[in-house]
Amino acid sequence: MRNEDLALDDLASIADDIAAGRTTSVAATEACLARIEAWQPRTNAFLRVYKEKALEQAKAMDAELAAGKRRGPLHGVPMAHKDMYYRKGEVSTGGSAIRRDWVAPVTATVLGKLDAAGVVELGFLNMAEFAAGPTGHNVHHGHCRNPWDQSRVTGGSSSGSGASVAARMVYGALGSDTGGSIRLPAAACGVVGMKATYGRVSRAGAVARSWSLDHVGPLTRTVRDNARMLSAIAGHDPNDSTTSDKPVPDYEALLDGGVAGLRIGLALPNDGPAPLDAQIGAAVQAAADALGRLGAKITPVTLPDFTALYRAAEVMVKCEAAAMHRPWMEKTPELYANQVRTRMEAGFFIPATQYIDALRLRAHFVTEFLSTAMDGVDAVLLPAIPFPLPTIEETDTETKGGPAVLKMVAGFTGLTRPFNTLGIPALSVPCGFDTNGAPIGLQLVGRPFDEAMLYRIGHAYQGATDHHLKVPV
Amino acid sequence: MDEKTKTAAGIAAGLQGMKYDDKRLAELATEVEILNDAVRKAAAARLTFDDDPAAFAGIMAKEARS
Repeated sequence: MRNEDLALDDLASIADDIAAGRTTSVAATEACLARIEAWQPRTNAFLRVYKEKALEQAKAMDAELAAGKRRGPLHGVPMAHKDMYYRKGEVSTGGSAIRRDWVAPVTATVLGKLDAAGVVELGFLNMAEFAAGPTGHNVHHGHCRNPWDQSRVTGGSSSGSGASVAARMVYGALGSDTGGSIRLPAAACGVVGMKATYGRVSRAGAVARSWSLDHVGPLTRTVRDNARMLSAIAGHDPNDSTTSDKPVPDYEALLDGGVAGLRIGLALPNDGPAPLDAQIGAAVQAAADALGRLGAKITPVTLPDFTALYRAAEVMVKCEAAAMHRPWMEKTPELYANQVRTRMEAGFFIPATQYIDALRLRAHFVTEFLSTAMDGVDAVLLPAIPFPLPTIEETDTETKGGPAVLKMVAGFTGLTRPFNTLGIPALSVPCGFDTNGAPIGLQLVGRPFDEAMLYRIGHAYQGATDHHLKVPV
Repeated sequence: MDEKTKTAAGIAAGLQGMKYDDKRLAELATEVEILNDAVRKAAAARLTFDDDPAAFAGIMAKEARS
């Protein structure tokens, strides 16, 4: 059934309605712009809104449709993206003060793909400074606020992506994930976020946090939307040598297999950097029960000790970030937030042998994980964030730094960062609300390049539940 | 200043050309010690002469399911 406010439709519905002539790209864009006007003051999700340009793009997309040309299943759909994807000739801040006025010399491969798919660009979104931070704090551009409770964090670093999709300002948004930065805001804001397999989506033209661990991916309202968007952006890119040449499936076409007969491992780990809160565990258990009722075989699995994977990821991030940021850290250290700069400094002190060993360990970690936790199962189900969402004030570490920052970061990313080390796909799906009314997210983890399996499970789950249909008011 | 902090001070001033106060050097030395220990222990238990960082991409392709 159509919503009176087009902005409340999901991506697939609005795209299909535009294609069928039941509405227009201009109408959808105007609906999103109205929603932005209402929600931007409350969330600070956008850094720049391109009202006129977006409407012009939408008119052009409608004209193409009228002339019989449909670019594909995203034709005419308004989106906005984390402000770290370069658009040639336009400012791209990376959420920083250092690049506040910097103009990008190239267009990111993923933006080029979305352009080719007919996506309308509403603007660019708030994010943690240089994609460094799991909460959504940003001292330069203002903190991003959770649409469900504006005193609480959005998760980060793709804070604006999570908030804008949740508040129905956009139908989809690109984020990036080095230690959880797609899945954390997806979980915190009650939307769907996919960190696909390392190499599945090009990183060319995106601000790097860690070349070895960065993953580009979509945040959307539904699993179907996410599958559609990933199909459009995935694939080999000669400008990113780490991309795979494996063919990209039509993920949306593979959604409807159901979960009957699938084997899903359930992990409720209580020995990570932060203890698992009882209500988070109960929500994920309830999701497992729902999948069980749909015919999946749920079996408890024990995750390996993530300490080494987590530390190896930290070594990679700190060394790579320190190398790329060194010129600015030497010349203009005061332009960084303290907590961003201090998290990189250890990279100057870690021996190169340790960094190389961290890279060499990855193949072993993957082999071990697949042969233990994932042995005999099609996916592993676990929480995304192990505790209820804290407030922005509670997690404002800017003036603290040092060990307090590390402890806070470890708590947020304890169940997400290990999967960046492993490079395997991980999908965050909303699975309830905590006693404060803030969203809870589950995480589904799969084998390399098995995004289709995670989407299939997530789609079946959303077919049996309504968490993803709830809208912040 | 303990030995590990002195080492950090030497790296900062002598090798990296960077200045930090003693308190920050002590924090960094502790942070690096934790990271190094974790990687060193994991490496000792797993790595051999022939382990290549590029094996990661190979494993991902080999284990791919789609």
